[in-house]
Order: sequence, then structure tokens, then C-alpha cells
Amino acid sequence: MIDRLLESARGKVDGADALWRREEQTAVTFESGRLKSAGISEEAGLNLRVLAGGRLGVAGTTAAKPDPAELVGRARASAELGEVVELAFPSAAATALPRIPTFFDRTANASLAELIRMGRFLVERLARPDCQVNISVQRELADTAVGNTAGARGEYRATGIGVTADVTRIAGDDVLMVYDQYVGADLPNDADLETLVRSVETRLTAALKIVAPPDGALPVVFTPAGLAAVVLPLEQALSGKTVLQGSSPLAGKVGETLFDERLSIFDDPLTPGRPASRPIDDECVPSRATGLVENGVVGRFVYDLETAARAKTQSTGNGRRGVFGKPHIGYTNIVFRMGDRAGARHGVPYGHAGGVPLLGGGLIADIQDGLIVDDLIGVGQGNVIGGAFSHPVGLAYRVQRGEVTGRVKDAAVAGNAYELLKRIGGCGNDGRWLGARWSPSLLLEGVSVARR
Amino acid sequence: MKDRLAESIKQSRADYTEIRVERTWSSAVAFRGRRLETATVSEDQGGFVRVLNPGHGWGIASFTSLDELPAMVQRAHELSQAVRLDEPIRLAESAPQTGDAVLELDGDVRGVALSEKKKLLDRYNGAMLAVSNAIVDTQSSYRDEVSEVWYVNSEGTSLYQLRPEVVVSGTAIGRRNGTIEKGLESIGLRKGWNSVQNYEDKFRVVAQRAVDLLDAPRVRGGAYPVILDNELAGVFIHEAFGHLSEADFVYENPQAREMMTLGRRFGKPVLNVGDNGAATGLRGTLPYDDEGTPTQDTPLIREGILVGRLHSRETAAKLGERPTGNARAISFRHPPIVRMTNTYIAPGKKGAQFSDLIGDIKLGVYACGAFGGQTMLENFSFTAGWGYMIRDGKVAELVKDVVLAGNLFETLDRIDHIAGDFTWNQMGGGCGKGGQFPLPVTEGAPHVRIEEALIGGDV
Repeated sequence: MIDRLLESARGKVDGADALWRREEQTAVTFESGRLKSAGISEEAGLNLRVLAGGRLGVAGTTAAKPDPAELVGRARASAELGEVVELAFPSAAATALPRIPTFFDRTANASLAELIRMGRFLVERLARPDCQVNISVQRELADTAVGNTAGARGEYRATGIGVTADVTRIAGDDVLMVYDQYVGADLPNDADLETLVRSVETRLTAALKIVAPPDGALPVVFTPAGLAAVVLPLEQALSGKTVLQGSSPLAGKVGETLFDERLSIFDDPLTPGRPASRPIDDECVPSRATGLVENGVVGRFVYDLETAARAKTQSTGNGRRGVFGKPHIGYTNIVFRMGDRAGARHGVPYGHAGGVPLLGGGLIADIQDGLIVDDLIGVGQGNVIGGAFSHPVGLAYRVQRGEVTGRVKDAAVAGNAYELLKRIGGCGNDGRWLGARWSPSLLLEGVSVARR
Repeated sequence: MKDRLAESIKQSRADYTEIRVERTWSSAVAFRGRRLETATVSEDQGGFVRVLNPGHGWGIASFTSLDELPAMVQRAHELSQAVRLDEPIRLAESAPQTGDAVLELDGDVRGVALSEKKKLLDRYNGAMLAVSNAIVDTQSSYRDEVSEVWYVNSEGTSLYQLRPEVVVSGTAIGRRNGTIEKGLESIGLRKGWNSVQNYEDKFRVVAQRAVDLLDAPRVRGGAYPVILDNELAGVFIHEAFGHLSEADFVYENPQAREMMTLGRRFGKPVLNVGDNGAATGLRGTLPYDDEGTPTQDTPLIREGILVGRLHSRETAAKLGERPTGNARAISFRHPPIVRMTNTYIAPGKKGAQFSDLIGDIKLGVYACGAFGGQTMLENFSFTAGWGYMIRDGKVAELVKDVVLAGNLFETLDRIDHIAGDFTWNQMGGGCGKGGQFPLPVTEGAPHVRIEEALIGGDV
């Protein structure tokens, strides 16, 4: 399909690239412990970008039998209004694409019955008389093909599976929600599911007792899930797009030590076993890891082809595109690599399984009074890139004299991500994947906690 | 198309079958700063089949290739058969509906050249950039669509709906040294080209606000009396209460049902809340929901008492209530789930004014505009676009980073004054739930006073 489309574009435009993707999903859902539905979804789409008269245009279609001439016509019409961009499509790779397993037979071949079995396992293990358990199991198969008129081609098949568990406990007017997930390219085994169960149980059990929240500027342990509010400003500020637009506070800071020296963050599309991993990006750029922050120093910003051309640099292979619209910058796997005080690096365990660490990742022993934050409400709203955040807690625990004393409600935490990451009080021993991000818990000092 | 769907329904071996087919024509223009990002025209189409069998659960299939329709009806049946249920799923009675519902296009967007749409957005985007050198970046977008939706089920419902939509949004980003602030304007309507003209002033105002916020102090965290402006009050009722009134939250959960018992007092007698999918000309308005049930005005809180909730046919049957026309899907890629439409706080006493709300507040916060909101059932967060301190009964200095955190029950009960200045806030964006985002909804409210609410921030 890609070849036919590019052939059809030849002669009518200066250059073009395209992506074709076919996705097939199978999902089962359990509501309140009961299997309620099974579904499939099939979708195929084609996205074309052209340079015509030096201007950029795009078009996409989900039509079952796309008409290449019609799509090229629509992309050219789009280019008539488009900006002038000096975009160079990468030519065929001189060396073979990096070899990265993205397709796992076990996942691809898993039957509906197997997906249902996994869901049932979780329902049974998580059942408690006073709790409602919702489970979803979703398996995805995707075929991707990319190509351009400079001769580059790439194709790969990928599998992905997501298992989510939501446990809700309502007692009077108190609503407690604990959520966890397994996301991987390969099927979880029973030990992985057991890890998920115990992770939910640990947090649920510690939450049963409600205690008064503290207030003031306090030490707060952000769990890998709770860390989202702190990471999001960095993700936005490290995008080459916001740098170009002048809205990134990190623009012009490459090479400066702005963070704790133990902090390194990579974008790594070559992490084995992750659904976001891939040998080539959606613009025919071979994948490689990018050091966003290395030992506290601002490293590279991430770029796609267009923003790289505008910034007069190279794409980092972070081009992502859907069926409609033009390619944009997207992260693949965000990986925290924490060094210790001696400068040594802790290895990142890429596998999913492993023991269930204690709540707080071993960081609470020295906390006299503080919080463990596992979930904040409203992350991503407000003025994210500025770094300041302020959110009520969704799920948080009070720590007193080195021990978790219970769950706190009706409290809000606030701080500035850039300021807080200047000094990390400690890195937890509980590193894990959450979606496409791997991180341990981080102890951050001086976080504002307000209570009613 | 209806006949083709009816034929496929006839072939279905399942007890209940429904098919939804959509064809959406859309165009989009986006600016980032002075640069055009994209100007595109797209066509998206696909189908959705859902079936039910006695003693079994839902079987669902969605697909982009309509040639596959008969095969997908069969697949959905097989999937349903694979889901064994002891307690059967029942669907509440919903009288079969037939007909065409064509909403007013108010300037068919399909007849307007893409270059005209670019010009319009360029004007709004340019208006923001011209406000000040401190406006370093903008994100502006125009998107329109005309969606044709066919819905046929095995109980005799057969509908064709034409649903237009147009959204113009702009974010102005102001920066001075390390300080970055934003202002956001968004207009979203279930209408067409004529309805999004002449809004330059609105975009200028938000850009100026982004600049003003650069010098504004952060609000000091703590508990205050808070007045919400119309927009934020609307987001508040949607987030804090609306989601709890969606019956899929309670229908399988005895504890939740107890918490949300009809007849329970939720607020003072001044509080009246409802959801009206049948209101004329709003973005959340539809003649029929995605199960073919006609939409309606559903009272949720009357004089402080919980009196209703929002239903799909499944949740209504389970609770022995009537469907309310709130089963909605964002596209053929998704099943219908219980969603809001146009949710509102009804105006207070006629003639009640803002000045009546603020007069006796010594120290408080006037929270305005909405960057967004999220709910975790009893707890919620909403982020105001900007705010002012209230001092001695008057609006005082501009403050930023106004985030309200709250507990639903306490907060609703603390609403003690509601003004008479009701407006619908027709914004773009939409509501997200169960992986379905953005669903077009509208919120409406007058100015609302909360006796005491928690504002996050430095302490």
C-alpha cells in the first residue's frame, strides 16, 4: 500500500512520506467482578505527508480501499495552505535497523479464553466483601509500515497487552479507589498478575485507616504513579517543539546542571518487551535512545523531522503519527536511571515481575512527618510547562516517625517540579513500569501540603 | 444505508442486535505561534455492532471496513456467546424510534473553502499575538465536522442523524524570564461556519490575561469562602456531581447505591441541578442517544434533594428506572456508556446578583474560568483559569494558580447563594470517561457561592 501510494505521488509532489497501520484489539471487561463483555476492534488507516512547492501538506483516510490519487490530491490541497519547510526525508538506512523484539507469539496467539482466564484470576484474587472489582484485559496486534520517496522503508509487527485492575471501596461517604496495571508487549505470567494483586492489596490495606493530613512544607515520597505531576512539566519542556516556540523553561539550558546529579532520564525506544518500543519511528528514522537529562545535566531535546529541520538539528526518532493530521513529537519509553551517591548506576530491571516493595520504596524510615503520594487529582490541567503544580490528593498516606499511619483525605500538595528535582532526598528501591515510564519512588523535600 | 443495516440485523442470530455506522467529514486548521501547523480535510468512517444473548454478556465489534459488516455481526454474536452470565443483562423498554434528525447546520462547513477557515483562525491567532511582546507562543485550532450517523436495532428502531460541530480554541502563552502563564479561549458549538465569526475580542482578552498573570501572585493555599464564575461553576457541577449521577457508577454497587439514594439531601434548598440533552442548539444536544433513546431534561437535584440519575437502557433496567437518553459513544470505535449532555445548575432567585453573593465576604477568592477538572468520585479538583482575592466585600487583586480541591458532599452542602445570571458555557474540548475523549458536552450555571472551600497552593 505504501509503495503504491508513494508511486502515485511521484511527479506530483517534491517528496512524500507515508505510514500505514492496521490494528486489531481484543478486549474483555469485568464489571463488579462479573465478566460483562467481549469485544474486538479492527482498524486500518493510511497517512500521507507531501512537500509540494516547498510547502507541507497532509491527508489521511480510514477507507477500506483507499484511492491513492484522491489522497495525494487532498495532501496537495493541504500543502497549498501549508508552511514552507526545508524537510529532508531520510534515505534508506545504510545499516540494518536496530533489532528489537516487538512481536511476541504468546501475546498474538492468546485466545479469548486465555484473556478471560487472566481476568478471572484477578477478580478472584482481589475479591473482598466490601469492594467492587473492575478488570479489563486488552490485547493489541499492530502492523506498521512506513516509507518515503527518498527510498527509506520500514515494517514491523507489534504486540501489546494491558491488564487493569480498579478496586473501589465505599464505606458511608468514603470512597477509596486503588488502581494498578500491567502493560507489556509480552503476556503476563501468573507471577506478574500476582505482583499486581499484591500491589493493589498493599495500598488498599494501608488506606483503610483514615488519619488527619499534616500541613506545611514537608518531605513527600512520590511513588512511580504519584510522580506524574513532577514528570509532566519536564516532558513538555524537553520537547523540541516547546523549545522552538520559546515556551520551554529549559530552552538554552543544554549542558547546565539543573537537577540533582543522581537524576538521569532517557527516552529509550529500544527497551525490550515494551509496547512503545520500535525499530524505526513513524517518519523512517531508525530508533535510538536519547539522554534527556544525564547526571542532572540537561541533555538533548527530542525532535521529529519537521521540528529538527526548523531547529537545524537531527531528528531523535521521536516522530509519531496517527491516521489523521501531521506527524508530531512523541516520547517512546521514559526511563529514569538513578545513580547513587557514589556515582554508580542501578540497573533497570526490564522485566515486569519482581517482589512487591513496601509502600514508599524504603524511603520513609527517616521521615518524621510527611506524605506518600500515589495519586493526584487533575494532573495535566493548569499551567503544566511552568513547573508549578497544585493538586488535591487522590490517594496519599501520612508518614509519622518513619511509619505509614494511614490514608489522608482533603489535602492538596503543591510545588514546582524544577525546584523540587534540584535536590532529591532519596530514590526508592521500588522502580517499576507504569505505562511507558519506568521510575522508582522519589523522596522530595519541602513540598507544600495544605489541608482543610 | 438503513436498509443495508436492517438486512444485516435480520441475518443476526443474536437475541438483540444493534448496528451504528458513522461517516464523518471534517476539516482542521492549527496554528502554533505565527506558523501554520496543519490545514487538512479528512473523512473517517466505520461501524459498530453490539449484540446480546440470554445468559450471555455483550459481544462487541468495531471496524473501519464496512464490507465486513455481515462478518462482524457474526463475530459479535460469537463473542457474546463466549461471555457466560448467571444474572442476565436486561435492557429497559425504549419505544422503537424511526426517522431522520437533521440538526441545523448554520452555514454548512463542507461548503466553505479550507483557505477561508485558515484566514479566520489566522485572525484570532493574530489577535492574541498582537496583544503584547510577552505573548511568546500561541496554540490555536479550528475544527469542524459533519457526522452522519445511522443507527438500527433489532427492536425496530431505525434512525439517521446529521450532527454538525465546530470548535475554535486558542491558548496564549505569556512569558517573562522564568515565569510562564497562559490564557485560554474556546468556543464549541453544535452548529456551523456562521456561528464562529467575530470573536477577535474574546481572544484578545485571554492573551491580555496571560500577560497580567505574569505579575500576579500565586494564591495562598487554605480554606476560603469562594465564588465561582459561571464557567467554573458549570465545570464544578459536571465534575463534582455529574459523574456520580451517571448510573453506571451505582448500578452494580450496593454501597454506591446507598450513598446515592434518591431522596438524600445533597445541598441547601437553593440548589437545583439537571442534565438536558434535548436543550436547543447546545454542543451536548442530540435528538437521540446512541441507543436510539430520545434525549430529555432530567432533574438530578431539586431543592437540595437527590431526585434522579442518568441512564443507559442497561442501567435503567437494573435499577428499575427509565432510560434518560444518556448512552453516548464518542465514535463507532466505542460502545455507548452513560454520559452527561448539557449539565446545569439552575439559576437562583430571580434578580439575585453577584453583589448579593460577595457583599458579606471579608476575605475570599473569586475563581474564574476553567482549565479543567477531574473527579475521583467523592473527591474532585478543578483548576480555575485565573482568580481574584475578595477583600471586604469587593473584588481585589488578580491571583494565579487557583486550584480547588474538594469533597463532593461537603462542598455541595456549602453552596449557600446562587445568582440569577445563568449562562451556558459553550466550550470546545469535552469530557473523558472510560477511554472515550473528548465527548461534546455543555455546562451551564450562574455565579455560585461556596461558604468554604479548599484552595491549593503555597502555605
